[in-house]
Amino acid sequence: MTLRPSALCELLCLALLRGASLLVPARQREEWWREWRAELWHVRRTYTAEQSFSWMAEREVAAFCLGALPDALSFREQFQQRRIPLATTMGSATQCVQVLFGLIAISYGVAMLLPEVSAILHFSAYRDTKNLMLLRDAHSSDDSVATISAEQYQVWKRRRQELFNGFAFYQVAEQSLSIENSVATKGAVASASSNLFDLLGLRVRYAREAPGSLPRLILSEQMWKRRFGGDPHIFGRMVQVGSESAMVSGVVDPGEWRLPGKTDAWLLLPHDLGFSERVGFVVAHLQSPHADWGEAWHMSAPTPAGTANDFFCESLTERTRGPGDVFLFAVLLACLALPATTSLPLGEYRASSRRLSRFTRVRRWSFLGCKLVLLLPIVYFVSLDLAHLRSGMDPVTSEYIQLLSAFSVCLFGLRWSLRDQRQRCPVCLGKLTNPARVGQPSRSFLDWNGTELICVSGHGLLHVPEMATSWFSEQRWLYLDASWEILFAEPGFVTPGYF
Amino acid sequence: MAAETKLSHTAAMILQAVNAGYVYGFSVMEMTGLPSGTVYPAMRRLERDELIRSSWEQQAIADAGQRPPRKYYKLTRSGKLTLEASRKRYPLLAKLIPSEQEEQV
Repeated sequence: MTLRPSALCELLCLALLRGASLLVPARQREEWWREWRAELWHVRRTYTAEQSFSWMAEREVAAFCLGALPDALSFREQFQQRRIPLATTMGSATQCVQVLFGLIAISYGVAMLLPEVSAILHFSAYRDTKNLMLLRDAHSSDDSVATISAEQYQVWKRRRQELFNGFAFYQVAEQSLSIENSVATKGAVASASSNLFDLLGLRVRYAREAPGSLPRLILSEQMWKRRFGGDPHIFGRMVQVGSESAMVSGVVDPGEWRLPGKTDAWLLLPHDLGFSERVGFVVAHLQSPHADWGEAWHMSAPTPAGTANDFFCESLTERTRGPGDVFLFAVLLACLALPATTSLPLGEYRASSRRLSRFTRVRRWSFLGCKLVLLLPIVYFVSLDLAHLRSGMDPVTSEYIQLLSAFSVCLFGLRWSLRDQRQRCPVCLGKLTNPARVGQPSRSFLDWNGTELICVSGHGLLHVPEMATSWFSEQRWLYLDASWEILFAEPGFVTPGYF
Repeated sequence: MAAETKLSHTAAMILQAVNAGYVYGFSVMEMTGLPSGTVYPAMRRLERDELIRSSWEQQAIADAGQRPPRKYYKLTRSGKLTLEASRKRYPLLAKLIPSEQEEQV
């Protein structure tokens, strides 16, 4: 079967019209298509003869069909819903979001100024904390008290292990630190096995390697700044720690050390030689097949004396946990408490049978979502700031302050978000203004009295009842149509386009 | 739409053509010499502004002529008022596209 050129041209023209019709809004598409098809029929009949084919005629028809594209585009523009711009007056949605961003910046800035909060925010989690276990004598209930002897540690290290694949030991003692001929300083020094920081995965700044048999001294940030004035040239130099000579090999950031024992420096002893008779702490890394044993459990192990003893193993997860968990818990509590403190609906808008356009509705909900999302970092930083406002506070007290402040600020913020949303025009999201009391205050439930607020762009009126009645319990929104436009300063705002 | 609406020359020509009895898009094109990409969008705007209104030809009439039904356009009351104002603004309009009565005279 062969296709005549005129039939082919006709098909192409129809395809062009069909393609252009896709630009027309679906509701008007069928009528638009009918009109153009009918017109095309007449155009073709006018320009082309019955049985002959002429390129000139087909060109005229094609030129006619090409006009369908601008027509479809103009049709689309005409019927497309007009997007109402956001209000630009005081209290606009944009200003609200800007204020929230400003609050985030301020609370974050304060957090950066507070050294403890700054340390928390920059805390890099230990490596595999779930499988890092702190071992202590089961007879001791206080995990901040050292209970393991260096001898016991050596026994565990020597024996073939099925549970653990790494051990580290440290014992804290007051020792003097002196560099060359300077005056010695006293400080809490943790004499530790050389693998302590590697096992924990703790980050050390300015890390320097020391010759094989030389102990390395890692300073806390506080000690480095207090004793050595934050001198970066100190690294690589020799210091006298008690009776040992060691090379200064790095600094640990504040807040990074989460294990028991407050320390100013760590003396990493090569080959585990040089521990005193005192008891210390043991950290062990659990082998992966036992990873599901939980965060705390007991075990029985041989002692250097050849007997068995009970030991308590506790994961470092709890110790290395950041403030995020407390914050999330506080947010959850605030969300649960919210319905008890304020009404959740955003306002009853049933006074109009017309519906807002999808774009306007999505924009309104997006604004609420944006406020709630921006609220979270504010709550987080403010609660951290309050919890660590005073330096050297007990961690438990700080945690309680953080919980309480996060809960309070979050609840206040959630209440404000809903209240603010209710006081905004659902169309342009501008703050409603000019509150006017209407009706007489009355004890009779039959009398209407309340407050009316108006959208400055003229989109509507909000009626807020003074007291809830069975027929009018919540605020109601009354949309104003285009006939009210003349009353408002910004013409063109009130159009039926947004419905 | 207010009677004092000011139309462009093209829109005024199309309005004059419709008033002169060229009641569908293609005939307006032929009369004014304007391309389809100008005439049809302009007619949409005139209809939106309620200067003209459209109606479909009865199916029975179209069937009798063995052709698809066409969409006809007609001036509204405000369209006539606007055309009067446009004629004063564009004095040659009536000479370019004389209405049927004027042609008979």
